[in-house]
Amino acid sequence: MTTLRRRLVPYFLLFPGTFWLVVFFVLPMYFMARLSLDTGTLETGFRFKWQWSNYTDALSLYDSQFLRSFYYAGAATLIALVISYPLAYAIAFQAGRWKNALLFIVVAPFFITYLIRTLAWETILSDQSPLLDVLRSLGLVSSDGRLLATSGAVIAGLTYNFLPFMVLPIYASLERIDPGLIEAAKDLYASTWAAFRRVTLPLSAPGVVAGSLLTFIPAAGDYVNAFFLGSTNNHMIGNAIQGLYLTQRDYPAAASLSFVLMALILLAVFIYIRFAGSEALMGEEARRA
Amino acid sequence: MRAGKWLRKRAVMIFAGIVIAYTLIPIAIIVWFSFNDPSGKYNYTWEGATLEHWQNAFGLPELNDALLTSLRLALLATLISTVIGTLMALALVRYQFFGRRSANFLIVVPMATPEIVMGASLLSMFLVYGITLGFQTLLIAHVMFCISFVVVTVRSRLIGFDRSIEEAAQDLGANPFITFWRVTLPLILPGIVAGALLAFALSVDDFIVSNFNSGTIVTFPIFIYGAFQRGIPVEVNVIATMMFILTLGAMAFAVWQQSRAAKLASVRPPQEGEALVPVPAGGAAAG
Amino acid sequence: MLTKMRLLAIAALALGVSMVLAACGGGGGVESGGANGEVQTVQLQGKPSGELTISNWPLYIDRQTVPDFEQATGVQVKYIEDVNDNAEFFGKMQPLLSKGESGGRSIFVVTDWMAKKMYDLGYLQNLDKSGIPNVEQNLVPNLQHPSFDPNRDFSVPWQSGMTGLIVRTDLATGVKSICDLFDDPKLKGKVDMLTEMRDTVPLVMKCMGVDLANATEDDWMAAIDKIEQAADSGQIRRFTGNDYARDLTSGDAAAVIGWSGDAIQLQSSNPNIKFVMPEEGCMLWSDNMVIPVGAPNPTAAEAWMNYAYVPGHQAQITEYNYYVSPVSGVKEILQKIDPTAAKSQLIFPSDSFTKDCDTAPTLTGEEEQRVTQAFDAVVSG
Repeated sequence: MTTLRRRLVPYFLLFPGTFWLVVFFVLPMYFMARLSLDTGTLETGFRFKWQWSNYTDALSLYDSQFLRSFYYAGAATLIALVISYPLAYAIAFQAGRWKNALLFIVVAPFFITYLIRTLAWETILSDQSPLLDVLRSLGLVSSDGRLLATSGAVIAGLTYNFLPFMVLPIYASLERIDPGLIEAAKDLYASTWAAFRRVTLPLSAPGVVAGSLLTFIPAAGDYVNAFFLGSTNNHMIGNAIQGLYLTQRDYPAAASLSFVLMALILLAVFIYIRFAGSEALMGEEARRA
Repeated sequence: MRAGKWLRKRAVMIFAGIVIAYTLIPIAIIVWFSFNDPSGKYNYTWEGATLEHWQNAFGLPELNDALLTSLRLALLATLISTVIGTLMALALVRYQFFGRRSANFLIVVPMATPEIVMGASLLSMFLVYGITLGFQTLLIAHVMFCISFVVVTVRSRLIGFDRSIEEAAQDLGANPFITFWRVTLPLILPGIVAGALLAFALSVDDFIVSNFNSGTIVTFPIFIYGAFQRGIPVEVNVIATMMFILTLGAMAFAVWQQSRAAKLASVRPPQEGEALVPVPAGGAAAG
Repeated sequence: MLTKMRLLAIAALALGVSMVLAACGGGGGVESGGANGEVQTVQLQGKPSGELTISNWPLYIDRQTVPDFEQATGVQVKYIEDVNDNAEFFGKMQPLLSKGESGGRSIFVVTDWMAKKMYDLGYLQNLDKSGIPNVEQNLVPNLQHPSFDPNRDFSVPWQSGMTGLIVRTDLATGVKSICDLFDDPKLKGKVDMLTEMRDTVPLVMKCMGVDLANATEDDWMAAIDKIEQAADSGQIRRFTGNDYARDLTSGDAAAVIGWSGDAIQLQSSNPNIKFVMPEEGCMLWSDNMVIPVGAPNPTAAEAWMNYAYVPGHQAQITEYNYYVSPVSGVKEILQKIDPTAAKSQLIFPSDSFTKDCDTAPTLTGEEEQRVTQAFDAVVSG
């Protein structure tokens, strides 16, 4: 093969995918930005007008939803982390030959359709369910209180639905840790806890970072959990965007909200990566690239 | 004292056990309620067991249409995204070229974008161009979010690939195409299949992006969302359970295949009186 | 440094390409389309045949009517229950209707105000009355000349109904007025209201003493404020479409604003669920069959309308969904086959039962936009 042909091969291979992603992922962002600056209604038609007021109007109407979304997503990520880390640790270090089976069991529930999984929680957390009876008798829920249609239910739903996204990356990075390192630490008189804190934990950082991002980002934009499990004052920004696009057909407002959401998430991610170190995120990928 | 120590040692395991139970409870509820016999149209309180909905699982035409649409969509999207994704993975792993890092970046970004932003932006583009929403727009959207996952999956398989086998094939006179077709492809096939399965699962289960770009087309998740208001038929639980069991089965089979392959590939040290390479019972020399 | 520059260069290039592509297509925004002036009339073509696709609300028809119609006329019917909310359905269909397409459907069933809205935008066809003689003959007098379609040019009622209070009498007592939903502390967190603005807000206005015939935009906004406060304080649990029924059945809600026919249907799963006519009166509405532009088979569509207006066929439908029939002669038929239903005030309301009931006041133009936006902001959280 001639050198020129050889050099062009990767571009040919890359072309279909790059084309698809650029046209159907990158380009639409531009259109969304453009739509967000339109003016008008469905009946009168929309015209492009650099209508920056769309942004200020939409933000003033829906600021509480934004805050709520980041709060819920953050809480869900934190709780997922607390739950997933010990689980991933147990599977990676203590499961022996049951590793794959356990991983399988952890991931298996997510083969049931997303909406049905969420709806199951509606049944479980319903006011008349046995779970609520137990919680009431334990005093964790007041006698006329409820769990469903509260922020707690929405956070619980988010945590549950994004658990594998947290477990798997943490597991992957824990699994790569050479047990010899931990043994070495112990040989140097480190207690189990110290060995964990100073060897295992830092080495699992890339997994924690990846898992947190993979959980937080989709959770912030989710609206299904809030729709099924929350009440009106638990609605997230996703609900607002969906309503504006699909029911109210107020495209400029909807697009501006969506754009702000994307920008805020990018900002949050950049800050987090800065804080955690981009080495941690790219990790092996960076070393391979 | 002893109990305390035992507990501390097992604490992590116990916690893990509780978490696993937590993840399984909703599944149990869904399966359990697929046997429910509600008198009204809402399947939220247990009213007695029946096999009726299992026997009549495909008796609701609207549900069947939605299911078929989802499956058709997923098959097409998987096909297209797997081909595109595999090609991309090959390019990214095996070649050094200008723009490689950007391409890598381009792959990762969709995986990290919230679905609502992807769906909403695509809808925005379709609206501005006045494109009618329907099966084609849905397909475009599904392929778009599947590509990245296929690339990442195939790439991880390619990275561990031993190229000396390819070199051996070429030494034996095979040209690059034949080498690829008969040596490389079969060896990376598990990775491609894994990527395809992942794409299929993502497509069948997708709700948010589909909700924005489906127009009047109804996929299975969209059907459920619409049915929520008027009462989700028990048949939905039945079908969800069926899909669950099918997927479990498929994965279990894949894992079993993997462990079998690993066993066959492993060479253990010969025991007393055993040959290093097992000799077939009949006369091998004759063959 | 070099990699960063490369990345930036590529990003700039991509953006540039996208802008060029974008400039080529899509003038500035989204078109609303619709007819400019002339409204089409349905062109009938001989005997009905072929396929007919209908979009209707869920659980609005019994299981026999469609097969019976198919047998009687030879038309293949595809009956889709995808209207869950007027605005939502409109949102879904609008992009198609603006281009003169109907998504394959020949009949929609939408509420009065939505029918008018669609008509004004040029999305509907005028009916050919010669194809629907039964309608002319059997339509009940009080629905023959509604304000939104005085000559019934483009709409034919499917069913009518009342919006009022539906209460779990075992969980809530003494609920007599819409205002009780706001004021009763025992109902906190157990109240649902409808996302349908023209049901919820006028009812609230009525309980605040407003005369709907003279309602001003300020009255609407005041009612919306009251609703917003109740939502923020947690008094209102959710805003729902048909799914208030789910909350009532499970007991998560004790009193809701709901639709009369649902109340009767829900009683079969829980006899404690009852429709309560509010002290200040209820809202009256009709859901109407309309034929959209681009309907593939208007001949069969009119045949369906005609078929539904035979009293015997209507009785079958009403006996299933328990809403108010727009066809005269149904009561007599039901008296013979289902006397309890024939006596129900909800299915055959007497004038005294509905004396304080109103139809929703109309809103147009900018007023409508402002009020809708305000309500939507409350309802979507």
